[in-house]
Amino acid sequence: MQNQFKTEDGLVEVTISKQGDSWNFEGQSCQILNDGRLQVTTTDGSVHLARAAKVGDVWWVHLNGHTFKLERIEPGANASEEQGGLTAPMPGKVLEVMVSVGQEVSAGTTLMILEAMKMEHKIVASTDGVVTAINFNAGDQVEQGVTLLDLEE
Amino acid sequence: MANKLTKVLVANRGEIACRILRACSEAGIASVAIYASNDAKSLFVELADEAVQLSGDTIAQTYLDQQQILRIAAETGSDAIHPGFGFLSERADFAQAVGDAGIQWVGPSPDAITKMGDKMTARITMRNAGVPVIPGEEIEEVEEQAALIAIEDASHRVGYPLLLKASSGGGGKGMRAVHDPSELISSAQGARREAIAAFGDGRVYIERLLTGSKHVEIQILADRHGRTIHLGERECSVQRRHQKVFEEAPCATMTVQIRDAMGSAAVAAAQAVDYEGAGTVEFLLAPNGEFFFLEMNTRIQVEHPVTELVTGVDLVREQLRIAAGEPMSCGDLMIRGHSIEVRLYAEDAANNFLPAIGKLAVFSPPEGPGVRLDTGVREGDEVTPNYDPMLAKLIVWAPSRPEALQRMRRALDEFVVLGTTTNIRFLRELCDQSEVINGTTDTTTIDRLWPNGWSPNVSQSIQSAALLVASCAEVNGLQRRTSSNSNQDTSDGPVSPFTTLNRRFP
Repeated sequence: MQNQFKTEDGLVEVTISKQGDSWNFEGQSCQILNDGRLQVTTTDGSVHLARAAKVGDVWWVHLNGHTFKLERIEPGANASEEQGGLTAPMPGKVLEVMVSVGQEVSAGTTLMILEAMKMEHKIVASTDGVVTAINFNAGDQVEQGVTLLDLEE
Repeated sequence: MANKLTKVLVANRGEIACRILRACSEAGIASVAIYASNDAKSLFVELADEAVQLSGDTIAQTYLDQQQILRIAAETGSDAIHPGFGFLSERADFAQAVGDAGIQWVGPSPDAITKMGDKMTARITMRNAGVPVIPGEEIEEVEEQAALIAIEDASHRVGYPLLLKASSGGGGKGMRAVHDPSELISSAQGARREAIAAFGDGRVYIERLLTGSKHVEIQILADRHGRTIHLGERECSVQRRHQKVFEEAPCATMTVQIRDAMGSAAVAAAQAVDYEGAGTVEFLLAPNGEFFFLEMNTRIQVEHPVTELVTGVDLVREQLRIAAGEPMSCGDLMIRGHSIEVRLYAEDAANNFLPAIGKLAVFSPPEGPGVRLDTGVREGDEVTPNYDPMLAKLIVWAPSRPEALQRMRRALDEFVVLGTTTNIRFLRELCDQSEVINGTTDTTTIDRLWPNGWSPNVSQSIQSAALLVASCAEVNGLQRRTSSNSNQDTSDGPVSPFTTLNRRFP
């Protein structure tokens, strides 16, 4: 599972993997307790109880006397704002193309389904418009950040 | 002489309003809160027996509107007004108007407020009462050229480095430190300009700048039965831009001799203005044990809880008792153990202490022995830019200073505030500084420790653990379990082009 966060030091990619009940990242593991707190075991074996709350896009994390403010970047959100195009949020495979060139779509229409990190992601039109180009077909592998299709308002 | 209080109107808001309203409740006195419309859901409104909304939008139209407050006091049948601190607490004209309306003012007489409110008058009053003042001279000249000549003249007698202060000033306005005679005239012009703009009064006084001094203040109480006592000292040297951050009682370097001398001076200061109620006399304590009068605060102070914890005296309860004309209830001064207070601000300490705003998605204060929290907020509240960014005062008590400091560290580590940036980590790291550990802090400590600003000291492993926690929380949809994330109104925002289906593949 991959997530991207904006921290004090810039953008950070975090890929966590699951093993039994716990999630792992850089030699540390994390388990979710019934009350919603998270129990972290760090590389040196020390155990901490963390609290997390999401406000808007920001995850606030309290851990070992420190408070962190980690803004989660919605996959592809930045790229699509900059280019007006629809880009791959992460490397993956195109599962299904739901539209064709010239088709009029309204905001919220699912355009493409992408599989990445063993999860499906809907590529959704952010505005009303006309599909002007489809750059990949079902089954194609895509690199992160490539433009999947173009939409004209 | 006794005029039993039956109903007290609290002319304040936030944390101190809560403190006073709770004291009223414990004293069996009915209470009235007044609140601006943006405070309608604030904690203090809940704690009052009655609450009346103020009309108006600005602070001047609400918490500072004397006529409106007096009208509400009359309409609710309040027989006393407690002003708290800030707002109208040191306004002699309001104290006078309250008395004229036949309502008891919980505080000293308008005359005492006036005498202590003007720094120049306060200095003269104190010197006449035999209280040591910082070597310096009042400059009475109002006209610019005559004032500059008088300042130049006085500078030779006072000596360098020196400090120019606005006579009717406060909050660092109209204040200039002068280290070299060549800077004197331009600094004096600047100080006067600022003083005229801020207070409409360009008079300044000039005093020796005492570096390496501690800010030590004496709490006093005076009743109408001829008793004026002091309750020992508080040290509040750790300040950032004249804003206190870390306060303690007793002062780590205090001796019995200095406390007795300083206490007697504070009592003399109070008696010199026929003081009534609770007040604080502030001093600068030089490294050689000499001390000098700084100013007197004619109200309850923010940091009063540390004195309460080491003396066992409920200062706000005593204020109410004294205002009712009863004798104060405390016996001889006895200082027991050590108490520390830190002020929690909604501010970004790592970003030049910029004020922060946001929702208190989680507000989970520490608990356990020796921990007291005075706050006006609770979980779910919104921190807005409308008022002072102080969220809470965290106060600890322990038998000794090292134990109190250790308890404060533990309490700060337990304190969880999510949704608004706070200075909790800054305060926590302050507790590990050797000057704080050794009790050798002075008024320049923060500037010297972090001349280029503060940034948190976080290990790499804790940083990556935090990223793991956030990822784990995101992936498992923990945001749906937190009440904070009620803004699921994606309908009126732009539709995200990517929506996770959360369908897993084997």
